[in-house]
Amino acid sequence: MIQVKDLTFSYTGKPFIQNMNFNVEKGEIFGFLGPSGAGKSTLQKILLGMLPGYEGSATVGGAECKKHNSDFYQSIGVDFEYSTMYEKLSARENLGFFSSLYKRKVRNIDDLLASVGLENDADKRVSDYSKGMKSRLNFIKALIHDPELLFLDEPTSGLDPTNSRLMKDMVLEEKKRGKTILLTTHNMQDATELCDRVAFIVGGQIYALDTPHNLIMSKGAAKITYSWIDGSEQTATCELDAVSGDEKLRQLIAENRLQSIHSSEPTLNDIFIEITGRTLV
Amino acid sequence: MRFRNLLAWDMRFQARYGFYLLYGFLTIFYMAVLFALPSSVKSKVAAMLIFSDPAAMGLFFMGAIVLLEKSQRVTSFMAITPIKAFEYVSSKVLSLNAIALVVAAVLSIVSGTKSLGLALFGTFLAGSVFTLFGVIVATKTSSLNQFLLLTIPVEIFGFVPAILHLFGVSGVWGRIYPASACMEMVAGSGISVIGILLTLILIGFLAYAACRCVEKMWQEQGGVKI
Repeated sequence: MIQVKDLTFSYTGKPFIQNMNFNVEKGEIFGFLGPSGAGKSTLQKILLGMLPGYEGSATVGGAECKKHNSDFYQSIGVDFEYSTMYEKLSARENLGFFSSLYKRKVRNIDDLLASVGLENDADKRVSDYSKGMKSRLNFIKALIHDPELLFLDEPTSGLDPTNSRLMKDMVLEEKKRGKTILLTTHNMQDATELCDRVAFIVGGQIYALDTPHNLIMSKGAAKITYSWIDGSEQTATCELDAVSGDEKLRQLIAENRLQSIHSSEPTLNDIFIEITGRTLV
Repeated sequence: MRFRNLLAWDMRFQARYGFYLLYGFLTIFYMAVLFALPSSVKSKVAAMLIFSDPAAMGLFFMGAIVLLEKSQRVTSFMAITPIKAFEYVSSKVLSLNAIALVVAAVLSIVSGTKSLGLALFGTFLAGSVFTLFGVIVATKTSSLNQFLLLTIPVEIFGFVPAILHLFGVSGVWGRIYPASACMEMVAGSGISVIGILLTLILIGFLAYAACRCVEKMWQEQGGVKI
């Protein structure tokens, strides 16, 4: 669905995106992870055909992004992080307007509104919506023309846990329907849960690209942390595959003095920091 | 089909934001003014009213419309729809001209014009020029105050020569100046073929510039304070 080869882009003469290479297969959820200013939005703009001044190649659905025609957008849906609605119109009117711009068969507006729990607020002005309601409306607006490729920018940002779960389930449902999804996020939990593969982007370069599971397993072994009382509470950590060699742990078990013991594996966030030396802020 | 939908929705937005209601009241007010005037000055006052308000409304309202769309980030979404910049600009020009033509028709009839078609053609050309200027300035500005400030030169070069021409205070070149040529048609006092040609060339140039400005605005995807 997407092929990026030797992609380089600059705003000012100094390369901002440097020699980037990756492919995204049809039906895949692919995540871009990186701190602010890493180049994620620029990469998204290039793939959306909005920054034609790049070198190398970036194709979406076989079309070179800088040479696209307006039909290019018939099969692309974008969920921006912020609301992109006419505030004085209702949700139903906004969806009606945006759906009228496509020649593809559009999805049923009432069904989409019901899918994100907005069926009872369909005729309310968007200006009266809460931030979470606007996020949900923005998301279904990206789906209105049933696009083959979806760009999602922080789709769970500002949502409560219930609606965040609802949104993630909808993203997975779109994947089941064969849609290709590009997810840009700071949220490592979402990325781990949703993405088939992720790319760590910092300073316009891809530092790592693999499945979340492989990244976690390749860079960090699982550990156990245990505690005991020795005057005050003490803690120690050892690698899971070296437990039998930990004399202190064996002694505490033998003396039944363990206060707590739990295993943990590194999160995608830990791996990101280890690989890139940066935090996701 | 897409363009027709865009045009229909633009007119719907304008109705929702009260443009039609506002021009309904203004038309009644202008009619009352014209009825109160002696017939000797009626046609000239009607021409001034038509030229300075319904014909020029695009200049002011484009600022409000485009800045509103920018502040609500709708322009960010427009950039990734199949809409072309030319369709976006044309829809704005035609939807605002529709209101201008209705108001101009009513005022022309009340003023007793004998050349309604000519008055409407002049209104359409002037309306297109002013609206296109409005699009260009609005895409380059980030607040309503900035927009109003930057439209002052357009108002000076658009209104002053045309009003002077209406009252016969213009040189031999006055008739070919686009604003004056439009004013002449609005007043039903004549047709300058060269003036119309120059106006059409100006519209072509402005339409091209407006499309480029819209494409750039879509690329930038910025929000603004209004």
